[in-house]
Amino acid sequence: MLIQYELLKLLRKKFTLILMAVSLALTAFLFGLPVMQYQIYDENGVIKGMEGIRYEKEQAVKLPTFLTEEYIAKTVHQVQGLFQNPHNVGYDGNEQFLIGEAYWKYIAPRENLLNTIAKAYDNPGEHSGYNKLADIDAAEGAKFYQAAESKREALLEDPARRMTAQQKAYWSSMAAKVSTPLKYGYYQGWETLISSFELLMFAILSICIVIAPVFAGEYQAGTDALILPAKYGKTKLVTAKIRSAFLFGALAFTLHIIIAFGILLTTFGTDGWELPLQAANMTIPYDFTFLQAALAGLGVLYLILFAAISLTLLLSSKMKTPYLVLPVLAAVLFVPMFLTPDGTTGIYNQLLFLLPYRAAMPELGKYISYQFGSLVLDAFAARTFLYVILTVIMLPFARRSFKKHQAA
Amino acid sequence: MELQLQNLSKQYGEKRAVQRLNARLTPGVYGLLGANGAGKTTLMRMICGLLKPTSGAILLNEAAMEELGEQYYTHLGYMPQDFGFYPEFTGREFMLYMAAVKGLDKKRAKSRSQKLFSMVNLQEAADKKIKTYSGGMKQRLGIAQAVLNNPAILILDEPTAGLDPKERVSFRNLISQLSRNRIVILSTHIVSDVSCIADTILMMKQGRLLLQEPMDTVTDSIRGKVWEVLVSERQAVEYSRRFPIVNLHHEKGKVRLRMVSETMPAAEGRAAEPDLEDLFLYHFGNQTQEEMEDVDPI
Ligand SMILES: Nc1ncnc2c1ncn2[C@@H]1O[C@H](COP(=O)(O)OP(=O)(O)OP(=O)(O)O)[C@@H](O)[C@H]1O
Ligand SMILES: [Mg+2]
Repeated sequence: MLIQYELLKLLRKKFTLILMAVSLALTAFLFGLPVMQYQIYDENGVIKGMEGIRYEKEQAVKLPTFLTEEYIAKTVHQVQGLFQNPHNVGYDGNEQFLIGEAYWKYIAPRENLLNTIAKAYDNPGEHSGYNKLADIDAAEGAKFYQAAESKREALLEDPARRMTAQQKAYWSSMAAKVSTPLKYGYYQGWETLISSFELLMFAILSICIVIAPVFAGEYQAGTDALILPAKYGKTKLVTAKIRSAFLFGALAFTLHIIIAFGILLTTFGTDGWELPLQAANMTIPYDFTFLQAALAGLGVLYLILFAAISLTLLLSSKMKTPYLVLPVLAAVLFVPMFLTPDGTTGIYNQLLFLLPYRAAMPELGKYISYQFGSLVLDAFAARTFLYVILTVIMLPFARRSFKKHQAA
Repeated sequence: MELQLQNLSKQYGEKRAVQRLNARLTPGVYGLLGANGAGKTTLMRMICGLLKPTSGAILLNEAAMEELGEQYYTHLGYMPQDFGFYPEFTGREFMLYMAAVKGLDKKRAKSRSQKLFSMVNLQEAADKKIKTYSGGMKQRLGIAQAVLNNPAILILDEPTAGLDPKERVSFRNLISQLSRNRIVILSTHIVSDVSCIADTILMMKQGRLLLQEPMDTVTDSIRGKVWEVLVSERQAVEYSRRFPIVNLHHEKGKVRLRMVSETMPAAEGRAAEPDLEDLFLYHFGNQTQEEMEDVDPI
């Protein structure tokens, strides 16, 4: 009953509707960009946008379903064969690559796949393309999964990461669960989606701006003097206000998600949802499909939203007008955007990966972990803990400071 | 029903807005008089739980207000001196919302607000947005929300401020209708607002309760101290410097002055029957005199 009226207060304001419309439009634009800017090449040149996506999906039909050792060995031999014919090979003074029909016919249609394979043979710090395959000793089979595991181990052992034995064990046992041979296919939509989460921070900010008046708006309008002396003014009404803020936030955010993901998944297609993340990069330790990873990332995003709403309510209960909430919130949500990590270890980096903007990025292949005693948490778990705790601890303070507000 | 104020004080920094105020209030209409800044609003906000007293206690039937919690507020209706509305709500939505905050069930909320809309003469405007209301309409909506929960304690902080004389009269009648069987505290600095509806007069000065008297006997203390004289305009200026002037009336080149003074101000003075206005002036004379000179320089 009270919730309905509190929601009505939010929704009756023109400002709410305008801001939500702007924010939805911005989200649609940001998530439309990867579609509009999408480009792929065939021998005749570049193919852009939807046409490019359609072309890539056509090519993807020919991709293998499973990356077996035999398939990889065959592929590596094939690429090596192509490099043996000097007519096929170009050189830019730095590295060799295939040209002409050899490239367009055998490489281009499955370049992502070849890159995924090639990267498994890299040393830490290298980022090779398909031409790496020319240098692999595959006389006795490709030993692809073994190479991938060695690379993963090398990454964990890298002294710059300063990982404890428990952390290494944590990641290794997680990676060991990934089943082989790997299922492969087209996953462009999901990959784009998973790398775009942080763009939804604007939606979170807009939603918090709408919610900012929940308490401060009453102080500003002078309605606090009417509702606080009413029977439920300091009890049920406060609960209703908090609930309506979360309800509005969850619904409005879901609307943004539907628009954002809808755009990506209708244009790139939902294909690939059941593929393992390792199809994109073998060093990713998570035993997740693309869909599972997207949901985990989305879960964290909702928790960031809820913590931001809690913070907004706390600020709103303390400040005289809703306008003062905005700068604080914008700073909290976006300042981390300008702080760049200089690695994955050390307090600075570890904290940075927990701050709102960075925490929105799943960082699947970075082995970000937190250790408390013998307990190791990965980024998802640490963020979940942190944001649930933040959401919960700020609310009683908001409640209290509204109740104690001196309407003078 | 008894509302008890025990040694109630409120201090803003150095400023003592209310000082050690004691009173026991039983059902009846209390006219709370005091000059600007006397502490009326501060007192009322403390009774409404909007300001925390610096010291002292507020008790309802012997129980402390903080301990009663929701129970206390069930009995309370408040119309603040300055307050706001939700401009995008209609009058009806606002009333139903306030009814919900006051814990009325849906059915009662509807019937009660319908009844109050006709009582405050807003039935036509009930479904219009509040942002289209005039000041007087908002004032009437303000009192309607205050009595929604049929409160045993009704606090009205300058309810007639900003109303035109006609609205003021009908507002006064409305308040007197709504006042039966409640503790009504009505603050004002317009004496005529309370002189016909109050049972008891409370007078505050600089945070202190100066006087608490039944209406019938409140003026007894200044009986024999109110005078009228008919003087020339030049003499009138002289008098107004020396005595608190209650009233002044020009009569054929002369001026009839009404003033409060312990002794007869002049040989030609004539004792007059004291009224509430005289009393107010007697206590707040120095403050009000300047205001009067501003308005009507002689
Ligand atoms: N928030 C505050 N901070 C500091 N001083 C205040 C505050 N509120 C009120 N005061 C002071 O306390 C005193 C009492 O103010 P209050 O509003 O209670 O008077 P009042 O009798 O209601 O006056 P009025 O007739 O003008 O409404 C005044 O001197 C005022 O300046
Ligand atoms: Mg006042």
